[in-house]
Amino acid sequence: MTECASCADERAAGAAFCESCGRSLAAGPACPHCGAAGAVGEDGYCEQCGMLAARPRDHLEADAGDIAAAVTDRGLRHHRNEDSMWLAVRGGDVDVVVCDGVSSSFDPDVASATAAGAAGEALAAAGETLTACGGKTVAADKTPAAGSTPAAEAPAAGEALAADVGAAILAAKEAVAALADDGDPRRAVSNPACTIVAAVVRGPQIAYGWIGDSRAYWVPLDGPAEQLTEDDSWATHVIALGVDPEVAMRDPKAHAITGWLGADAGSVQPRGASFTVTEPGHLVLCSDGLWNYLTDPAAFAAAVRTGLHTHGTLINAARYLTDYAINAGGADNITVALIPVRPAPSEE
Amino acid sequence: MSYTAEAFQNEYLALGATEVNAIVTVTSSGAEGGRRTAGATEIIIVDASGSMQAEGRIGAARQAAKAAVACIDDGVHFAIIAGVGTAQQLFPAPGQLAVSSPQTRSEASWAIDRLQASGGTAMGAWLLLAAQLLAQRPGDISHAILLTDGDNGERQGYLESVLDSIAGRFTVDSRGVGTNWKVSELRKIADAMLGTVDIVAQPADLTASFEQMMTNAMGKTSADVQLKIWTPVNSTVRFVKQVEPQVADLTGKRVPDGPRAGRYPLGAWGRESRDYHICVDVAPGNAGDEMLAARVSVVEGDTVHAQSLVRAVWTDDTALSTRINRQVAHYTGQAELAEAIQAGIEARKAGDDRTATLKFGRAAQLAHASGNTATEELLASVVEIEDAATGTVRLRRKVAAADEMALDTRSTKTVRVGRGQ
Repeated sequence: MTECASCADERAAGAAFCESCGRSLAAGPACPHCGAAGAVGEDGYCEQCGMLAARPRDHLEADAGDIAAAVTDRGLRHHRNEDSMWLAVRGGDVDVVVCDGVSSSFDPDVASATAAGAAGEALAAAGETLTACGGKTVAADKTPAAGSTPAAEAPAAGEALAADVGAAILAAKEAVAALADDGDPRRAVSNPACTIVAAVVRGPQIAYGWIGDSRAYWVPLDGPAEQLTEDDSWATHVIALGVDPEVAMRDPKAHAITGWLGADAGSVQPRGASFTVTEPGHLVLCSDGLWNYLTDPAAFAAAVRTGLHTHGTLINAARYLTDYAINAGGADNITVALIPVRPAPSEE
Repeated sequence: MSYTAEAFQNEYLALGATEVNAIVTVTSSGAEGGRRTAGATEIIIVDASGSMQAEGRIGAARQAAKAAVACIDDGVHFAIIAGVGTAQQLFPAPGQLAVSSPQTRSEASWAIDRLQASGGTAMGAWLLLAAQLLAQRPGDISHAILLTDGDNGERQGYLESVLDSIAGRFTVDSRGVGTNWKVSELRKIADAMLGTVDIVAQPADLTASFEQMMTNAMGKTSADVQLKIWTPVNSTVRFVKQVEPQVADLTGKRVPDGPRAGRYPLGAWGRESRDYHICVDVAPGNAGDEMLAARVSVVEGDTVHAQSLVRAVWTDDTALSTRINRQVAHYTGQAELAEAIQAGIEARKAGDDRTATLKFGRAAQLAHASGNTATEELLASVVEIEDAATGTVRLRRKVAAADEMALDTRSTKTVRVGRGQ
């Protein structure tokens, strides 16, 4: 006989609910696979069916209201989510990083998490310096340093921001490369690797950088999406050489990347740029789990706008885009970040 | 004692796959200062049948038994059984156990000198007396050494029924001297009693063999260690095999322990490391599903010393699901090696040279590929190995009985991954 913790009533061993007060006698949560009450053990596996109840990285969301939102999801076909993201908001300032683990490497999920964390922290450190230079940590809310910069100084400020992003990507590169000698010896044989795309938004100014095939898009109010990044991939390479894009993307090698973060990445350098928006729109960062289902820039923009218009909030729009990829097959992990950006009021 | 349990596997399964394999390495650091956590009792059973007079075996057996007695630590209980048509206690008085000390050990030596070879062979009766003596010391690390030189003379099935009744109560290491005994009989004892079996072809080598067995037994510090395996609903343990230092199938020794779990006896443990191959049949999962296929614990009574998880993760990524785990592949090969040798010996005895050549060829290939040089050398005494890599062998016309028996008894000896390569 076991006693009910709530009402101290005895009950027959094995009962799922207390006979007296009706409370669940289950110690832990119910198993999402077989439904057994309280069967999930301390190690996360169901004591009945053995299934892992949930992995925290299978679906993660970052919701910063109307400033930014991001969602990452395992999708349908991969056994774990090897994408990682970083979203930091200080007032209107936004730092965002999306990384996609290279599946053929060992521990790619660790690589992407390490890269997103290292780049995010580097951007946060650079962002604080920036705010401190303005001398008004609190006021940074409403008047971000970059937003109040006179137009003439914008290119210089943009370059500085782009340099911050580049430095953050290099910090991530170093951190991921160090993983090869850390922990499991199999990491040395097939070192952890991942892609990265990172961006900062300071008022109307956007700076971004990347290595690999995770992308940044600018989605204006109307018209097709503008792909800001250029994939370090086999497909991009042969398209540049004149192969028909449709044919290139259908090739099994299409997604083979030519640049990545990792101990074997060589001397690859991040590419990047900065610009100041002159009309409102959305900065979208995503992994190939999304853009592979929306290769047409017009379709990409249409999907983003559908998400924004029919679902109201940024987080719902990000969920919509994730579901879009899942409904289209969900063959890869999906990560998407949405950041609305408006032109500086002075430019009206 | 501190134990570790580490699982080696490729957890990734193709969609629809239901077989999960893992090698679990259990390592014990031994008790602090090498001290036993319980008492220990040793029984030495020496065949004193008439045939032991041949080749000076009885003299060598006396020497060996005395050497083994000399290895018994102070304070350990012990007794010596003379094996004839019945079991006769040689030392101390019938039904008693001696406590090891310089004095009792020399008294035992004098008793051993009186051992005469005359009578039959009744291993069932010998083991039954050993079991009765050991029953006086429940909780002890209980171990027996059995030496014989001939076939069991008891009625068919009697030894098996004795083994059924005493299995798991103590460990028995068996040795056959000369070549007139049956490997299959001693292997039956070793399998049931979680012990070893080996041939000592030359009586002169008995002393070294006895010393090694007793020293090894004195190194055991825990009496009854078990492997507890939990599996989820709709799963079954297909097999549990010890695969290192030698192959021993434990599947049939399962004792149920609560819902979905069972215990497998591992015998006495000292400072050592052993590998186990666990194979579980599970219900198939969907892509991305992760299942705990088995929770493997090293237990002693209610104490859980160490735990390791065997997982299954279904994926449609064939690059992951087709990866071959080195340990699993290696020990699957070592188990097949032992089976191939035993099948080869059977076939040769039955006069089926074609099957024998095939089996020995496969064995030579497996032994060579895995770096099991000891087994490869034993094989070479039975067949001419023309090309080990392709498994091309020719049966030797004349094979010494001792060589074939050595190959048979030692066919289950395995090597660890990478050793000797």
